[in-house]
Amino acid sequence: MLLMTVEGLGPITFYRLLAAHRSASAVLELARSEAGRGQLLRLVGSSAGTDRTPARRPLQIVDGLGAVARDRGAIVDWLESLGLRWLTLDDPDYPARLRLLEVPPPVLFLRGAPDALLATSSIAVVGTRRPTDGGRRTAARIADALARLGSTIVSGLAVGIDGVAHGAAVEAGGRTVAVLGSGHERLFPHAHRRLSERIVATGGALVSELPPAALPTRGTFPRRNRVISGLADATIVVEAAARSGALITAAWALEQGRECFAVPGSIDAPTSVGCLAYLREYPGQVRIVAGIAELIEDLGLTGRAPSRDRPANEHPSSLAPRPAPAAVLATLGRAEAAVAAALLDGSATVDDLARASDLSVATVLGTLTVLELRGLVTGGGGRYRLDGALVAAGPEQRATVASSRQPVLP
Amino acid sequence: MLASVLSATLHGIDGRVIRVEVDVAPGLPGFSIVGLADASLQEARERVRGAIRNSGLVFPPRRITVNLAPADLRKTGASLDAAIAVGILLGSEQARANGAWALIGELSLGGELRRVPGILSMVLALARRGVARVVVPAESAAEAGLVDRIEIHPAADLAGALGAIRSGRAARPRVNPARVDLVGPSAGSSSREGPTSAAGPLVDAPDLEEVRGQAVARRALEIALAGGHALLLVGPPGSGKTLLARTIPGLLPPLDPADALTTTAIRSAAGEGPILELDTRRPFRAPHHTISYAGMVGGGPVLAPGEVTRAHQGVLFLDELPEFGRDVLEALRQPIEEGRVAIVRVGRSLILPARFQLIAAMNPCPCGGALGIEAACRCRTGVPERYAGRVSGPLRDRIDLWVEMPRVPPGSLVGETTGEASAPVALRIAALRQFQMERRGSLNGGLSGSRLRLACQLGARERSRVVNLAEGLDLSARGVERLLRAARTIADLDAAERVGLAHLDEAGRFRALGVRSPLQIAV
Repeated sequence: MLLMTVEGLGPITFYRLLAAHRSASAVLELARSEAGRGQLLRLVGSSAGTDRTPARRPLQIVDGLGAVARDRGAIVDWLESLGLRWLTLDDPDYPARLRLLEVPPPVLFLRGAPDALLATSSIAVVGTRRPTDGGRRTAARIADALARLGSTIVSGLAVGIDGVAHGAAVEAGGRTVAVLGSGHERLFPHAHRRLSERIVATGGALVSELPPAALPTRGTFPRRNRVISGLADATIVVEAAARSGALITAAWALEQGRECFAVPGSIDAPTSVGCLAYLREYPGQVRIVAGIAELIEDLGLTGRAPSRDRPANEHPSSLAPRPAPAAVLATLGRAEAAVAAALLDGSATVDDLARASDLSVATVLGTLTVLELRGLVTGGGGRYRLDGALVAAGPEQRATVASSRQPVLP
Repeated sequence: MLASVLSATLHGIDGRVIRVEVDVAPGLPGFSIVGLADASLQEARERVRGAIRNSGLVFPPRRITVNLAPADLRKTGASLDAAIAVGILLGSEQARANGAWALIGELSLGGELRRVPGILSMVLALARRGVARVVVPAESAAEAGLVDRIEIHPAADLAGALGAIRSGRAARPRVNPARVDLVGPSAGSSSREGPTSAAGPLVDAPDLEEVRGQAVARRALEIALAGGHALLLVGPPGSGKTLLARTIPGLLPPLDPADALTTTAIRSAAGEGPILELDTRRPFRAPHHTISYAGMVGGGPVLAPGEVTRAHQGVLFLDELPEFGRDVLEALRQPIEEGRVAIVRVGRSLILPARFQLIAAMNPCPCGGALGIEAACRCRTGVPERYAGRVSGPLRDRIDLWVEMPRVPPGSLVGETTGEASAPVALRIAALRQFQMERRGSLNGGLSGSRLRLACQLGARERSRVVNLAEGLDLSARGVERLLRAARTIADLDAAERVGLAHLDEAGRFRALGVRSPLQIAV
């Protein structure tokens, strides 16, 4: 484990070191002596040059190894002070799915509940960082439905589809695992700090194969994606543009022999280009998401009672099954229900909402504040959309609003 | 022989009365000016010498000493030229004065009397000192004539000035009101009517009904102008931010005469002109974002008023807010809080009025693509946040109302006009402002502490809603005050005695954006 806190040391080199010296402590022992350092340098250096590693890197790594060898205790204290657990490959809690990978992460740094990684059903929901309203709702509905069936939802904590999937799973009272593209200390993106707290509070976990201080860089995200697909039985891509990172996750899923699904979209929508391209290129391997019920059937989750895999007393606050969107809508006041109903078709501006709900702009503004305080609406860029318990709500809920509410008075 | 004449200089935007003493004594010919005169005043020697000679008079070949009193006040500018020249002529007995006089104006080498900035303030200072008669450049006759209780004698040149002080009456003494015959002796009397009002159609501003869609921003603008709140508009290029801001002059009520005198004096001191009448329009200043620190707060060698002062009692509109220099924006904090700005330079300091209302606009990100119909921002991750971060937290905290203006869909751009015109909105704003002044002695934007709480009259339910909002929107103590202020104005628009839940909720919407991590684009 300690070895992996060394900056710049990746799994390939790690396994090379391990193969040569049989155990991590032997490597560290070697790093203490001058002669051993030379030996390590040759070993580490042999992987440099081949994969565009800068020439100075091997020296850095060996120096880092030396430092770790001297301060083992301090590093353990540091990790514990951050509230992190670490799962090494030989840990019984190390997720079995991940162990099957060709190059499994030697260690996972984890915050939250380790058993979230061990769920009998674990599904990755990923997609673009710039989704459409429709993509958002699709992701929310998929995550909501699967979480209610007891599946753990795995994703990458990015803005866009990832965030929606995590949020919907949390709202559904399910468990969700976020795989970070950075170290725990450098949580990225900043906007999802609150979401990450909720994930942990509801029995989920944040995991990273990178040492806590690692910064997010271009290279860390594709690497992270292999862990996302590796932690899941199946990966579902909701929306992906032509060169989306979500496609990398899908490619990993195929390579790892996991199931892969893509949500099809209009052939004219830029956010569906990636999904459609994969459906075309890998017929029979990438499967189509034809609907929520169909997806559940294709995943082999049919017949599963909405149940939970975890002991009932672990997170009492989050265990109560969350009310479905329809039930939440029925609890709203008149103006709130009108505004929420106007948002069922997707995001809207205040001007749109005032027109659709027949309320004054002033009333719509105040009502949005009330809904936002209840966590049911979120806004950005002058547009508002449903969130929280209503994140998975769609036009099909309109009937609920209409039947349970009097018409709004002018 | 010793002669003594009064004059005045400009100190910031205030006039200071200066006594010009001239001693023309036997001895080696020489000409010196003492009394903390700066470089521009030392040059007066050459102008005065030339003006006297070219007016057909004799520059006395004597030892001439000019003393400017009070001696501890640093004097600058060319406004003393006329007084120095007349002092020399009196001292050398080439002219006689009938009674005590003051003179203001710059001389050309040919002897013409030229306009200087700040005539209005200087004449005001002389009038307050009890000076009865002042000679001013002919061009500035109208401006000087705005001042009561002082006789104005316009003169086109040095000879004219001498004529006035000898006879004791000018060819056309001008006493307030001096709004007739504005251009000068040659123009004759024109048929100009009385003072023009600023609220009417005379204002050169687009009408509010030209702004399509953007109901939220229009609502926020009305609240901001009615209550004197700082407002920030966030929207992509073409969403109508600048157009909306440009309607402001047509929405603001005119100034009353006393306040108008202050803003007119500021305009005069800033060198705007010629000033022909008391300007009752509220200033609307929109400096470009490349403005320097000194340009914004005031300063420069002569301590000229900056944009914050020139926007006094009006609106300071900052388009492209994050593009302004950081120090320029930070400099706004003091005037926003205190309504005045202190300029401190070596050996001098000055406090200028700067009670302006801040209206700002910005793009959501450098590419301007965010807030489009669909998220179309092409900025790299983190760039929009950094862009918004250029507006520092303390400044954000001073902005009561935040509004996002999404791009208007093309359909509404060509559709029939949906919004209200300027005139009824302006009437509401004027009435509401008057109501606040009568009721609370200040606009809601200026309330704080116990006065604010008293004005809001929150009930128990409202109080607990404030707590909810503060927690939910993560408001600081100052943020809560801003929320209450905005809610008070919203309640006033509603003609409500007490601030209610709906008012608080609506005010919370205008605060929400301001506290969210910089500007959330897509989460």
